[in-house]
Amino acid sequence: MFIGTTIYALINTAILALMAIGFNLTFGISGIANFAYGALYVLAAYGVWMMLNLLHLPYLIAVVAAVILNLILGALIYRFVLIRVRGQGISEVIATFGIGLAVLEMFSYFGWVGFEYTLPVLIDRSYIIAGTYVDMQRIIILVFSIFLILGLWFFTHHTSIGLAFRGIAQDERTALTFGIDSDWIATLSISLGAGLAALAALFIIPLGSISPGEGYDVLIKALAVCIIGGLGSTGGVVMASFIVGFAERFTDTYIGSHWTMIVSLAAILIVLIVKPSGLFGKQKELEERI
Amino acid sequence: MLEVNNLMVFFENALALNGLSLEVREGEIVGLIGSNSAGKTTLMNTVSGLIIDMKIKEMRKGGQRITVYGNIIYDGEDITETAPNQRVKKGIVLSRERHPIFPESSVMENFKIAGYLRSKTEVRETMDFVFTLFPPLVKLKNRKAGFLSGGEQQMLAIGRAMVVRPKLLLLDEPLLGLSPLMQKAVVDAIVNLNRESGITVLLSEQFARPVLPMVDRAYVVENGMLTLSGTGPELMNNPEIKAAYFGV
Repeated sequence: MFIGTTIYALINTAILALMAIGFNLTFGISGIANFAYGALYVLAAYGVWMMLNLLHLPYLIAVVAAVILNLILGALIYRFVLIRVRGQGISEVIATFGIGLAVLEMFSYFGWVGFEYTLPVLIDRSYIIAGTYVDMQRIIILVFSIFLILGLWFFTHHTSIGLAFRGIAQDERTALTFGIDSDWIATLSISLGAGLAALAALFIIPLGSISPGEGYDVLIKALAVCIIGGLGSTGGVVMASFIVGFAERFTDTYIGSHWTMIVSLAAILIVLIVKPSGLFGKQKELEERI
Repeated sequence: MLEVNNLMVFFENALALNGLSLEVREGEIVGLIGSNSAGKTTLMNTVSGLIIDMKIKEMRKGGQRITVYGNIIYDGEDITETAPNQRVKKGIVLSRERHPIFPESSVMENFKIAGYLRSKTEVRETMDFVFTLFPPLVKLKNRKAGFLSGGEQQMLAIGRAMVVRPKLLLLDEPLLGLSPLMQKAVVDAIVNLNRESGITVLLSEQFARPVLPMVDRAYVVENGMLTLSGTGPELMNNPEIKAAYFGV
């Protein structure tokens, strides 16, 4: 049972990291807490579902189209909404939360809830690893998360746009003196965050079903992981995903499944008491931002 | 090369620059001397275009109203309304006051971030050049820039500006907070950049003493207005300057 729990805890870690990485990327670069993140996640999932079931497009095209649509949508949100409230933390949160709420409640209004609203798994197969039954989708999530995080690390450390991201994140005005366009970088950061939300949805949704509630759930989980890890820190996201991921699974197995939610909330509380800026957090005013 | 005509800058109703005109010719080192709040940084920000960015961002959120009158001519072209990143492409590069480096990044990464508009080989070439200019930086290559001393940070800030390959280098108080020995090293480096690489320099400073010997010409700014101008030796012997800016 211990090995099985560990395997599922690892997968849970990967899922949490996948959920949080886009939110974290946007916050880390532009300081914008994108509360529409959960809605973008659900939107991409419904988008793929519609393309598959209503338009009967091939899976690959639907997936690529959904990611591109989310990238564009993220950019539009910045260009038309966030650009006006830039730098005013609470207005950014209200604006993005408003957008998220509108999108999610629209789906609720249409009544798009039920088991038929789900996405297909990539490979329908399962294995028995060390006596534990694991399906291929979960293994793919684990591998994909690792590659995604390594890829993001490479992107932010070795490409000129990624380095510009880091420059803007550290000192916007100084970055401007090197010809980096802050609006363009901020647009990209929201856009990429939205794109990552779509990717996360494509991999995670097949484990369950699409519903507006999923959007709130993802947002809360992303927030929890980011707060514990220290907003804006990729290392923090990985670390916090491990902590929450393992805590949740082990509580589920050894204490009882109704305690899992409490464990992650308790982890947030403890971190906020002991180190308010999060495990890897550096900015002191973070508590005020969220 | 650079011509500033009758520049007036308001922050809301506060006048930061009041009808300031100056000229920088190609190949010169020009000093801008003034005490705190004289308008040196505002001038630097206006020439580099940062003020345009500040203005747009303040306007969007309905914040402070920034107004700029007058014009700035660079290489015969009016750049008064040009965005800062376009000005960087034209070769105007500013090293900001209080040497703000990227503290979380290593020295090397600071160079890489600054090389946004440059290719990787160009960045590497400039880095090697900067290391000959400021030898102490060599062994700090992999250290986080936030852990450098003030002098080292200033070297990094000036060196980092070189990555952009400026034609006109704006240095806002490059000697701020440095020891006399460090000041000398930075002054020597600036002179070297000017002589060897042919970079035109406009630098601001509070104290006249370390700056006047190196500059071709200098302007004295007070309350956003020019009060005096002249060549280095002329100003050195001016009793008013001696009284106000020699720090004795």
